[in-house]
Amino acid sequence: MPGSIALEARGLYKSFGGVLAIADVSFTVRQGSLTAAIGPNGAGKTTLFNLVTNLYPPDAGSASCFGIDLIGRAPDAVATLGLVRTFQTARAFPGMTVLENVLVGAHLRVRAKPWLQALWLRAVRDEERAIRRQAEALLEVVGLADRRDDAAISLPLGAQKLLEVIRALMARPRLLLLDEPAAGLNDVETAELARLLLAVRAAGVTLMVVEHNMSLVMGIADDIIVLDLGRVIATGAPAAVQADPRVIEAYLGREAEIA
Amino acid sequence: MREAVEIAIGGVLAGSVFALVAVGFTLVYSVMGVPNLAQGAFVVLGALTMYSLETHLRWPLLAAVPGAAVVAALVGGATERLVIRPARRRLPTSGMLILMVGLLTLFEGASLVIWGSQPYSIPAFSGERPAAIAGIRIPTQGFWILGATAASVVLLWYILARTVFGKALRACAENPVAASLMGVPVSRMTLFAFAAGAALGAIGGEVLGPITSIEFDTGRFFTNSGFIAFALGGMGSFFGAVVGGVGLGLVQQLTAGYISSLFSNTLTLVLLLAVLIWRPGGLLGGGGVRREDVREFIGASALPAYRLTGRAAWSLAILGAGIVAVLPALLGGTGLTGSLVITGILFIGVLGLDLLMGYTGQVSLGHAGFMAVGGYTAAILATRLGVAPLVATGAGIALSLAVALVLSLVTARLRGLYLALATLAFGLLVDSVTVGLTGVTGGPSGLVGIPSFSLGGYAFASATSTYYLVWGVAGALVIVLANLARSGYGRALRATRADQTAARALGIRVPRYKVSVFLISAALAALAGSLYAFHFHFLSPEMVSTSRSLEMITMLVLGGEGTLVGPLIGVALLTLLPAAVQPLATYKTLAEGLVLVLIMVYLPAGIFGGGLSGLQRLASRITHLSPHAGTASSG
Repeated sequence: MPGSIALEARGLYKSFGGVLAIADVSFTVRQGSLTAAIGPNGAGKTTLFNLVTNLYPPDAGSASCFGIDLIGRAPDAVATLGLVRTFQTARAFPGMTVLENVLVGAHLRVRAKPWLQALWLRAVRDEERAIRRQAEALLEVVGLADRRDDAAISLPLGAQKLLEVIRALMARPRLLLLDEPAAGLNDVETAELARLLLAVRAAGVTLMVVEHNMSLVMGIADDIIVLDLGRVIATGAPAAVQADPRVIEAYLGREAEIA
Repeated sequence: MREAVEIAIGGVLAGSVFALVAVGFTLVYSVMGVPNLAQGAFVVLGALTMYSLETHLRWPLLAAVPGAAVVAALVGGATERLVIRPARRRLPTSGMLILMVGLLTLFEGASLVIWGSQPYSIPAFSGERPAAIAGIRIPTQGFWILGATAASVVLLWYILARTVFGKALRACAENPVAASLMGVPVSRMTLFAFAAGAALGAIGGEVLGPITSIEFDTGRFFTNSGFIAFALGGMGSFFGAVVGGVGLGLVQQLTAGYISSLFSNTLTLVLLLAVLIWRPGGLLGGGGVRREDVREFIGASALPAYRLTGRAAWSLAILGAGIVAVLPALLGGTGLTGSLVITGILFIGVLGLDLLMGYTGQVSLGHAGFMAVGGYTAAILATRLGVAPLVATGAGIALSLAVALVLSLVTARLRGLYLALATLAFGLLVDSVTVGLTGVTGGPSGLVGIPSFSLGGYAFASATSTYYLVWGVAGALVIVLANLARSGYGRALRATRADQTAARALGIRVPRYKVSVFLISAALAALAGSLYAFHFHFLSPEMVSTSRSLEMITMLVLGGEGTLVGPLIGVALLTLLPAAVQPLATYKTLAEGLVLVLIMVYLPAGIFGGGLSGLQRLASRITHLSPHAGTASSG
């Protein structure tokens, strides 16, 4: 139902060895929206992702996905709730081809039990074929179809980032968290990524993106959360956030070179 | 009382040498983060080199002692330069461990070629007459041992704690990258660690030589003991290594003196497993857990992304099945059929290991332990209780599964290096139990009178019938496992090996997959162990010992990890070549070690995997050259 909340965080705290990385962070991501978290380097954006996907526990606070509590769940259990994430550095699986990488994304949707897979029964074959068709269609979308049998880590970094995005899409997430998907992408690839993200949102998937590329964020995001030094300093629509004096100070005050 | 004191003194003397080896372990581990499992070989090298220098070249004692230590240091240094350094850049920690196993085998093989297989005894440094103090007899050699140990340890401590060089070395141990940025020549430090570790081991061998007998493969014993001391004392702590070594010597000698020499290792191994699992930082809480493998680096070449698929795979499978079917007819009644049976049996065991290591990236250095559990259970049930072989095999597999489940649950928290070392301890523990439980297993001389495998009244008594049984099972397993490998289960395993964090983010329950694949591999090892016993009508501890575990790893790596059929090449080469070329038996160990080292350094994908990648490159080059090649890349 539109209007309900996909991701909600309340009072999250996290410190590493005495350094406060996240302090009293609360925010919501509306279902069906494309929400971007921005902020200067070290603002705590990636830490935020790691907290809600439970790579490590918060010192305090709570987070929930579609009303279900996230804290204390194993990272793979978080994925079963429909919350899938990508990583800041491209993490294509080495030792697997491009196509196989995308197929891994469908892991949660594979219904056949391992002993049926071992016997390669008809149901297994049909399921594998269906998953493979979807994977090939997604590869087509990002222009990697003709590289599908190459080793995934032989792709240029930008292509690996796109690969990771479609791998996550194969899981049919309800909420997709993307950690700097445009990092390492050239302008053409960035435009391709923007089209892909808009198409994903149009398909009903809620998106939350951590991103440095302002033109990308301002162009496609519905809501923006601005973090600085581990705190939320502004939230709202792109235009409103851009005009917020605290945001301008956070960026221009210290980092004049931000595009 | 006097007897107890004499036994304790013997324990301290043996323990001193363990301490020297453990200090060598610590030195290399501190700088590289990988224990040098070849450490024990330097003990043998030192002792035997000294023997040759004294008896053949007639060197005086005072020249032979440092001479042999220098030889060992040179060999250690050369090993670092020629093997460790090129491998370090390409291999993950697990690969380095396997490389060390290869080096140990290589040194053993070289010793066998140079000195033969007979045991050696070095003349005592100062006569054979023991000194008597307060009525307690102490061999005068004991003073040499204690003196040499104390002098070496103090010298090393001085270098590490009091010199700039030592400070640089410790910096490498803390953080090699930062150390190199600060201008510390890290590679010179690794060289020093290897050479000094080798010299320490050699000195241990030289002084211990007169009160024990040393032969080409005694190094394995010292690697085991030194490693146990190193782990008990807390990997990376010099003080812990010395205490661990002496403590281990005491426990072993006292167990041997008062309980049974056959069990002298069991107690320490149980202790070691407990320490690895519950106190990975060692009993003294020394170095602690460092360099946790959050994400093991995997070199692009180590994992073949290319697989045979479609028509090529089918053709190869049909060709293989055809060859397997007609081979016994071609060979007639020659002994080679028997060798092919063994090839098939070991292939079944290695298949499981491939799923575990090649697909999931979990190293097991004690896999033959499951062969022993399965084989002995089946053999004892069938021989003593007359249980039908099929049922007995099932019972062996069930027990093996239970053991594997317990082991995988208690080691669930362990990763990478620690898991590999825990499996090594498990394998050694099974070794000592099969040797020690003479009443149940027949002890070192083995279990005899095991019946042939039989099914519904048909006994597989001839080599040919066993051949078809074994290869039928192996073929069915290849099909089933290949199906698993190409569907969701196999993808989850390979994702786990490649990147656990990313795999979990996609919903793969990594711990559960690790346990399930460990169970499958344990079951296959148990099946192989049972078939082995039924085929030979005999089972002895050395047939399913840790040496066998290491040989299976060699076979796997040689053929090509993560390819299922590739390991068959490795198994066949290592089983059939020595059988076909009997006169070269002396060189078998040397060749095995050399092959493993060369493969790990130069062809980590193995013969099959390397061959596939080569073909793939060739194919893509041809496509690129042809004028009709369209847009081959999108980057």
